[in-house]
Amino acid sequence: MALQGILVLELAGLAPGPFCAMVLADFGARVVRVERPGSHYDVSRLGRGKRSLALDLKQPRGAAVLRRLCARSDVLLEPFRSGVMEKLQLGPEILQRDNPKLIYARLTGFGQSGSFSRLAGHDINYLALSGVLSKIGRNGENPYAPLNLLADFAGGGLMCVLGIMMALFERTRSGKGQVIDANMVEGTAYLSSFLWKTQKSSLWEAPRGQNILDGGAPFYTTYRTADGEFMAVGAIEPQFYELLIKGLGELTLLKMQQEAVSCQARQTLLSVKRPSLQPKSWGTVWL
Amino acid sequence: MALQGILVLELAGLAPGPFCAMVLADFGARVVRVERPGSHYDVSRLGRGKRSLALDLKQPRGAAVLRRLCARSDVLLEPFRSGVMEKLQLGPEILQRDNPKLIYARLTGFGQSGSFSRLAGHDINYLALSGVLSKIGRNGENPYAPLNLLADFAGGGLMCVLGIMMALFERTRSGKGQVIDANMVEGTAYLSSFLWKTQKSSLWEAPRGQNILDGGAPFYTTYRTADGEFMAVGAIEPQFYELLIKGLGLKSDELPNQMSMDDWPEMKKKFAAVFAKKTKAEWCQIFDGTDACVTVLTLEEVVHHDHIKERGSFITNEEQSMSPRPAPLLSNTPAIPSFKRDPFVGEHTEEILDEFGFSREEIDQLKSDKIIESNKASSKFWILYPHSNIQK
Repeated sequence: MALQGILVLELAGLAPGPFCAMVLADFGARVVRVERPGSHYDVSRLGRGKRSLALDLKQPRGAAVLRRLCARSDVLLEPFRSGVMEKLQLGPEILQRDNPKLIYARLTGFGQSGSFSRLAGHDINYLALSGVLSKIGRNGENPYAPLNLLADFAGGGLMCVLGIMMALFERTRSGKGQVIDANMVEGTAYLSSFLWKTQKSSLWEAPRGQNILDGGAPFYTTYRTADGEFMAVGAIEPQFYELLIKGLGELTLLKMQQEAVSCQARQTLLSVKRPSLQPKSWGTVWL
Repeated sequence: MALQGILVLELAGLAPGPFCAMVLADFGARVVRVERPGSHYDVSRLGRGKRSLALDLKQPRGAAVLRRLCARSDVLLEPFRSGVMEKLQLGPEILQRDNPKLIYARLTGFGQSGSFSRLAGHDINYLALSGVLSKIGRNGENPYAPLNLLADFAGGGLMCVLGIMMALFERTRSGKGQVIDANMVEGTAYLSSFLWKTQKSSLWEAPRGQNILDGGAPFYTTYRTADGEFMAVGAIEPQFYELLIKGLGLKSDELPNQMSMDDWPEMKKKFAAVFAKKTKAEWCQIFDGTDACVTVLTLEEVVHHDHIKERGSFITNEEQSMSPRPAPLLSNTPAIPSFKRDPFVGEHTEEILDEFGFSREEIDQLKSDKIIESNKASSKFWILYPHSNIQK
């Protein structure tokens, strides 16, 4: 497997860290989850492929045990607020002096610096601070966080795996580890770069919930069926929209609805040159 | 930078592919975006750090040009439905025979196989098929897709970067490339593994929209302020919940138990009424420095927030456009995103072919036969698209 022979120490936390470590384990790394003695069970439920070591890091001798483990490991993944590891004498300076190849991944909500770095928070808070939450939610309603998927898992855990892979790859050239500051506010913002890049385009010209991609368009949303189930409609391109209308048997609606959403917004989304857009041609690009 | 010297060929598509390639460019790879001649501009808007080559892949001589480029590249990223590249004689068997080190990344909605693999779709469709969409949305409403962030960008583009990095790392040992089947349905599901892992737990015991994390809880949701702004409350732990109650000026002994789910609808109304009495600025004063409550910043506001400014989380390019700095931060070899404007379509066609060993005669012939296109400046661009952010 891709990560055969890579040794990862994961200091137990919730959601983002465990997910990050689980991905590494799935791809072949040997992952040790270091948990607090007295923990009843792994609340993360993301322990697949890991082994568990119960160790009291707050005790100096416990910290010393971890230090010894880090001396022989490839990756340390810690989820604590900035300063916590340093207090335990387990900061990157100490551990990377012992082991210059160690990749020290620090996965937090707000990052290792800045006025919020000492605060705790949850996905919804990080999503709010990133700017992204303000774009999500129906017209006339409050912004809505999609579970804890965007900040905890995408901008947090997955982005941290990316950082670790970058560092592992770079280490094959330099022979050295790095410190990774992976945090959910910046990770979620970066993941959502598209929003800033298209900020001034017609894609977002209407208020929240009234655009193509945020629930405003009749051809890009969900509908309830007679038996209380749901269908997801994503028919932006003209030829797919026509298929939708045909399927609904409502040809008369076609013209009305086409005018309901800004043509410019739709064109911004697609390749130009509509007439040449063939479903089977390589030029058909789709989200 | 981490990906110094890595050469990536990105076949132009929308959203997921361009984002994947942009991340690689941000971290130091040399990325060439291969676009169709006649494209007016890069609709993805994710062209940062890339160079643009306009090439007609449908012409056999155009496909042959790409084949030559792939022979000297590290990564090919293609977004087409299964079978399209094969039809162009550009499938992995051919290209990896030429270049066994080539990492052939295939990024689609439904994957390289299966009954849906020939269909087109969008983020919302992939999100629906993954099972994840069914969990997202308020009580009593239809499921709601959070823009195109989950499937296109997270389960799609970002997951594909991960696959490419896995393959690059593995290649340092084996010396060989791989074929990557990155698709949005599976990527989104894998990203959301937590949902399946906790499916039977009390975390999701109530119907959609009535649980802690999906908008059911009064202490994990957003509230409107007196001035029409929003606060995001995420106070699950008892001690943070206490801080929330205190900040709201309420008394916990006068309220139902925090975890009494039957009382949540009433509590939400109560909290909403309290939040509506003060402005965002007043609430920020009250909750600033506590762990319970954060203001919902807009895309414009976020760049002015103290924490964000202190960290330099946003970058401004030469066109004064702001966008998020690449994440995560690496201490020794950080990403250095380009500050230049995005390339015009076909802006670098000739210099790229020249670098790859095409002669002047070959380039001229390809140009006159309209296999390639070279656009040094895009006057069409200005006339047709007055809303472009380049125009000042």
